[in-house]
This record gives sequence, C-alpha cells and structure tokens, in this order.
Amino acid sequence: MAAVFAVIIFVIMFIMIVIDKIERQYVTLGCGLLTIIVVFGLCMKSMSAIWDTLSFKSFATTEFWYQVTESESKGINWATIIFIAGMMIMVEGMAKAGFFRWLCLRIAYLVKCKTVPIFITFVIMSAVLSMFIDSITVIMFLAAVTIELANVLKFNPVPMILSEIFCANLGGSATMCGDPPNIIIGTSLGFSFFDFLSNTGIAAGISLVLCIIYFYLVFRKDLVSKDKNEKADISKLPKPSDAIKSKKNFIISSVIFGIAVALLVTHSLTHLTVATIGLFIAIITLITAGKSALELIKRIDYKTILFFIGLFIVVSGLEETGILVFIADFIGNISNGNAMIMIIIIIWVSAVASAFVDNIPFAATMVPVIQSLSASTGVSINTLAWSLSLGTDIGGSATPIGASANVVGTSIAAKNGHPIGWGKYCAKLAPATVIVLIISTVYIFARYL
Amino acid sequence: MPQIIISVGREFGSGGRVIAEALAERFQIPVYDRHLITEIAEKTGLSHEEVERYNEVPKSRLASRRVRGFSNSIEDNIAEMQFEIMDKKAASGESFVIVGRCSETKLKKYTGLISIFVLGDMSAKIKRVMEIYNLSENEAKALIEKKDRRRKSYHDYHVNSRWGEARFYDITINSSRLGIDRTVDILEEYIKARINNK
Repeated sequence: MAAVFAVIIFVIMFIMIVIDKIERQYVTLGCGLLTIIVVFGLCMKSMSAIWDTLSFKSFATTEFWYQVTESESKGINWATIIFIAGMMIMVEGMAKAGFFRWLCLRIAYLVKCKTVPIFITFVIMSAVLSMFIDSITVIMFLAAVTIELANVLKFNPVPMILSEIFCANLGGSATMCGDPPNIIIGTSLGFSFFDFLSNTGIAAGISLVLCIIYFYLVFRKDLVSKDKNEKADISKLPKPSDAIKSKKNFIISSVIFGIAVALLVTHSLTHLTVATIGLFIAIITLITAGKSALELIKRIDYKTILFFIGLFIVVSGLEETGILVFIADFIGNISNGNAMIMIIIIIWVSAVASAFVDNIPFAATMVPVIQSLSASTGVSINTLAWSLSLGTDIGGSATPIGASANVVGTSIAAKNGHPIGWGKYCAKLAPATVIVLIISTVYIFARYL
Repeated sequence: MPQIIISVGREFGSGGRVIAEALAERFQIPVYDRHLITEIAEKTGLSHEEVERYNEVPKSRLASRRVRGFSNSIEDNIAEMQFEIMDKKAASGESFVIVGRCSETKLKKYTGLISIFVLGDMSAKIKRVMEIYNLSENEAKALIEKKDRRRKSYHDYHVNSRWGEARFYDITINSSRLGIDRTVDILEEYIKARINNK
C-alpha cells in the first residue's frame, strides 16, 4: 500500500511540475509532506523512515564535512543543497561585481571582435564556466552579451546562443558541480570532482571538439554579417572595464572564484566535502561583501533550494518502499545481466527522459536504481553512474525545455527579437545531442567494458 | 483630470474592443490594443505578423518550461513584454484605455484603474461575428468558442484572478441588452462617477 501511494505521489508531482500551474517548489514540498504523512506515517508507521529521509543527523557526522573514504547518502541530500546554496551566493557576488560581463567583453576584444573567433571562444567559455558554476548564470550573461555583440557586429545571434546553450550543458557534464544531476550522483555515491573530470570529463572534452566543428559547419553561413556592405562600428561596443562596477569587489570575487575552483579540483586530496566547500565559499563571500551581504542572501534562489528538499523526500518515498529496486530488477531482467544493454538503456532512456522532463528529479530517482542494479548484477556502480550522468546531462540539450540553460537562452533571445521555436531549436541541437550520445556510449563501452 | 486607466476585458463578439475605442474617444485618451503589438514589433525587430501570432494566446503547457522567471515559450515572452509596456505607461501617469491582456489584475496597484468586462448573449455574438467576418452560423459559433477558450486560458495562466468572473472586475456588463452605443453611455456615466468620487 505504501508503495502504491509513493508512486501516486511521485506521478502527481511529475505531472504538476510539467503543467507548471503551481510553482515547482510548492509542488515538491507539498508532495514531500504527503510522502511523510501518508507513506511513512500512515502506511509504514515508521518513524525511522521519516528520520532517515529528513537526514538531519547527517550534519552531525564527520563524513558530511570531511570525507576520507567514499560513502553513500540517503534521504534529503543536504550536501547537494548546501553546496548549491553556497555557489549561488558566490555567483551572485561575482555577478554583482560585473565579473561575467567583463569576461565576455574581454574575450570579444581579445579576438578583435571578429565573429568566427568570438563564436569559438564563447562556446568554449560557455563549457568551461559551466564546469564550475550553474549553467543558468553562464547563459544569462553569455546570451545577453552575444546579442549586444550581434547588434553591433551585424550577425545573427541565434546560432551562437544555441551553440552556447549546448556547450554549457556539455561543460556541466564534465564535473561534479557542473550540473545538478552530477552533484546528486556525486554526493549520493561518494564521487569526487576529479572522479567526474577523469571520467565524464574526457567524454565531454572529446564531444566539445567535435561539436565545435559540427556547429561551425552548420552555422557558418549565419556567422557572417547580414549585410556585407554594412561596416560594423566596433567603437559602439561597451568596453570590458565598463562592466566592472567596483574594482575592489571585482578582485575579491575573482579571488573567491579561484579559491572555489582550487578547492573543488583538490577536494579528493583535502578530503573536504562539497558541503564544506559550499559553506566555506558562502561564508567568505558574505564576510567580504560587508554591507551587501544581506542583499546577496536575499538574492539566493530559495525556490530551487526548496524544490530540491521536497524532491529528495518524494524520491525517498520510492526508495524506502522498494519501488526503485523493482525498476532496477526490471532493467536487470530486460538486459539479461548484459552490461552493454544496461549501459545503452541507462544512457538513452535517461537522455530521452531528460529531453522532455526536468533532469533533476529524474537523476535523483535513478541514483538508487543504479545502486540496486549494480548490487544485483555486479556491474560496476561507477560505469552505471557515468552512464547516468552523461545521459541526463546531454539529453537535456535536445529540446528547448530539456535543461534550464535552454529555457534561459531561448527566453533571452525571444525578448530581444529572436524567437526560437521548437522547430528551429531541435533542427540544430537534436542532431548534436544524438552525436554526443553516440560518442558517450562508445566511450563508456571502450573504457569500462 | 486624475489618471484613469480603463481596462476592458471582453468576450469575443461582444463588441468589447469597439466599446473600448468609444470610451477612449469620449475621454480623449489613447486606447492600447493593436498598438502594443506594433510597439513590441518595433522594439524587438520582429515582424508585426510574428507578434500577432503569439498575441493573447496561451502557451502549450507541455512544450514550455519556466526557470527563474525565464520561459522558453514565445507566447510567454510576448505576454511579459506587453505587461511591461502596460506597466511602464501606467507608472508614467498616463491615462489610457487598455483592451484585455490581464490588465484588470496586472494594473491593480494603480488607483486610477477602472476595470470593465463586456460579455454578450451567444446569439447576439454569433450575429455580430457572422456579419464582421462573413461566416456561417456554425463557423461563427466555433470561432467565438475557440477565441474565448484561448483568452480564458491565457488570462488564467498569467494571473490568479479568473477571466470574466464578476468579482474580479469593477463592473461587468452584457452589451446585448442595450446595444453597443447605450452600453458605452452607461459605462461613461460609471467612469465619470468614479472620477468624481476621487
């Protein structure tokens, strides 16, 4: 009975997120509350299931902050939540200081404001920045500057924005903190930043090179000036230094970003968990922000944080009632224990699902599934985790609603007179998605089987 | 005259737009309806037809998503641009008549807002639509139902009030009872009374 209710609540949550009538954080929190009351309380009558799910005791454990050996977490993934909140504070601080706009303009000037070099450097920058900070912020600034540059340099910004969106998602797949599914996979299964970089990161790197070639070939005609007789007046472009609102804040935020990158890259050596890093980065950002600290706190995207909390509770409902083991057994049976088929199923089903529904709830649901699948079939959890990560991260690029960066990028383009409908979007990015998924599948086969 | 913002919501075929234009003329203030489309077209560089295509139509829920206030739906983005323009005009102190676009709710914070909803009997609306669009009775009925369904869906998605429900407007009026001209007279009286009451 508990399992039936857990599934019903999960399905209702998914449908309501898709319908988008009620804000998604209220949906997941409401469904989370229902899971606690109906599934754990009334059906299972299990206080321990409630405590395991709320997972408050994890804060008191040393492993939550300092982790020498890999460990797995259950229930609300507080490490993910603290890390995301910490990075949000840092990113707000950087944005306030004008860091991202400065970086975009600086690079445009470095390549002498020539369209093709801007295209190549911007898509690489999109991928690299998304390895460390959320793709929403990356696209918000990149798309806005791209449109500004396009207006002055007289080229069509849509191909560049589409390529930036794709590469932001691709860059996100390369590291543990690049995309929320990776943070969930990493913190749940005890992987480090370097584990991701040396596994999914290599697949993303190979794909990035091929994608730049693909995008250049597909978009090369759009990257030239619309009117060849019209000469672009570069003096109309804003100067990078104009983007810096306060030199002191700019230097501080750049240093903090550098510290965050250094801590993330070395966290398997320092044994500091992402929760510790997130908290530390947030604290130094707030201390150095002085009077602006309150403003930065207010600008945290609480809705996303609450969305995550509710989501983890609902997924715990599925986990505690054994539904996810059932799904894992199902995958194990249809693949007949064959690792190759399992990998194909995980990569491609994750990709198709992520193309149409939010990949965060999908990844959160699939983590316990692959754990169970690994335990029952003996296929390495690492192999399944990298398959899940690549499938969910890359699949999201296929449609305009698959990932947050897609929504933000297409929205900014539309508001500036460049509407991008499903047709225009999918015609260029769906083939790119399929190419990268094929590369990822071949990569996983070649490296892990 | 203090600022007045006359918001006119309407059922398709009820003559709401004509009533809005007549009120604008009587109070010597501009009416914003198609003008907003032109303004967005000029601002964004989109064609008039492109903006018109996405004007006051609901988005497909399954094909769209919203992230931190951004939406991939072109309909949503056009709607938000219209809301912004409307709000800027209202904030500037300008008096105007605005047709539809959730204005009765979106502009509620302005004390000069007078919200009207014009409805009509189905038979009268069909007759009017048949004449204007040169349609058969069935075609006219189908068009009315389709347009109203879209307006309701658009309205109820963007704001929390419900389209056409009396409690969300200052006055709702059936234009089929007295005809368009007398409806305008009554509304003019009502608006004058509201202005004098300030």
